Amino acid sequence: MTKRYVMVHDENKCIGCQACNVACRSENGVPEGVTRLQVRVEGPYGEMPNLHFKYHRVSCQQCEDAPCVKVCPTGAAYVGEDGIVSIHGDKCVGCMYCVAACPYKVRFMNPETKVADKCNFCKDTRLARGEEPACVTVCPTDALVFGDANDPQSEVATLLNTKITYQDKTHLGTKPRVYRVPTKRGGI
Amino acid sequence: MNNTWGDMAQYDPVTWHWVIAVYLFMAGLSAGSLLIGIGLRWFNQEQTQVESNILKAAAIIGPVAISLGLACLVFDLTKPFHFWLILINYNFQSVMAIGVLALLAYSPLAFAYAILVLRDDLPKWGLGFLVPIAKLLMPFRKLIEVLLFVLAIGVGAYTGFLISAMNAYPMLNTAVLPALFLVSGLSAGAAANAVLALVMFKTDSHDKTLAKMHGLELPVMAIEIMFLFMLFCALYFKGGAAAAALASLTSGVWASVFWIGVVGIGFGVPLLFMLLPAATRHTKGAMIMVACASLTGVLALRHFIVYAGQSYLS
Repeated sequence: MTKRYVMVHDENKCIGCQACNVACRSENGVPEGVTRLQVRVEGPYGEMPNLHFKYHRVSCQQCEDAPCVKVCPTGAAYVGEDGIVSIHGDKCVGCMYCVAACPYKVRFMNPETKVADKCNFCKDTRLARGEEPACVTVCPTDALVFGDANDPQSEVATLLNTKITYQDKTHLGTKPRVYRVPTKRGGI
Repeated sequence: MNNTWGDMAQYDPVTWHWVIAVYLFMAGLSAGSLLIGIGLRWFNQEQTQVESNILKAAAIIGPVAISLGLACLVFDLTKPFHFWLILINYNFQSVMAIGVLALLAYSPLAFAYAILVLRDDLPKWGLGFLVPIAKLLMPFRKLIEVLLFVLAIGVGAYTGFLISAMNAYPMLNTAVLPALFLVSGLSAGAAANAVLALVMFKTDSHDKTLAKMHGLELPVMAIEIMFLFMLFCALYFKGGAAAAALASLTSGVWASVFWIGVVGIGFGVPLLFMLLPAATRHTKGAMIMVACASLTGVLALRHFIVYAGQSYLS
């Protein structure tokens, strides 16, 4: 059966520490000034004393119907056999069409390579070695779960079957593969 | 940077800037001027021996504008010297790849057509060595003309399809945009043809072809206004993020660009000139002024659509 790599971000467990952000930068050699992954701390929402923050992971959503892949004129943005949306750097001319077309605004031009860049679930590095993405491994509260959702035994499959999750901007039909467990009001 | 998660600069929704707006303008101008030039030639059933000054103007604007536009496009790439990659790798799902193919056929044809139409003027500009090519191309004139006309429609509409293909932006992701860009390209083309015919080829302001082209301007403008109205209506009734994008008409610098540039200068000035007595408005100076106002309006429209369109995310 084909793989369907997904990531689940539990916004109850997340504390916005940015360890994932830093681990990603160091694993993937992301230059200063640009990021593949941020966790934005939004809020506070609600009324005193019942305040809560929202922890919003901003990174490639690994859309199953990816606008960036559709618009890329050279085929530099592509979907691999593992379903992961990645970039052939040697085919990219830097027209920025993918950066503009991404509804999540998570693509950027790498100032060193001059090529479009974004999260690819550490496909070439850690995933190739059979390890989990850097952000997942480093997360101190285990807020991130990564795996093959097509494998019914996997932790992500169980999680998606048992927890309420949502995805960003589903109205655009992109079918994002980053799922989020929403914050429960009033504490964990 | 005053947050823990890092620099936010890369998340600015406005990805494409004025260089792209100028490219969209130039491509529309090139296509529009050739469509008008060739269209009028067919309509008038002109003889091949004498070329009208309007057609000569179009034959210059067509290739020059598209070349300038493509130069903008290439130098806006992050890897301008690797632009050839886009010529050998094609993803046919991509509007841009299809546009590259259309431009690959359109641009050389526009140059070929220019050589053909301007054959009597080339020696005056020290380009006499091109005349034998014109003689060689002459038997294929009709074929080149038809191909160029069809490709010009494609190029004019393509600039709209290019940005309407992004569903991230509600104002851009509309069906009317390619039509709007094609029609406003026509009005830019007519204006530029008029300027060049009057200034460069010293056309009399009562020239027959010029008058016919002048007659096209009002209906073209009316269609343009209708398409703009359709665009804004579609956004309004779609609601949500699309309706929110209408704020670009009432606030911010792009509202000024729209109301002053597009509406005031682009539509207002030509319409006001129509109220002047015929003797005044048909002078060379008045005609050039109206044409320049139209060109400014179309350039402002491209900027408004590119910037305001990208400012609102779905």
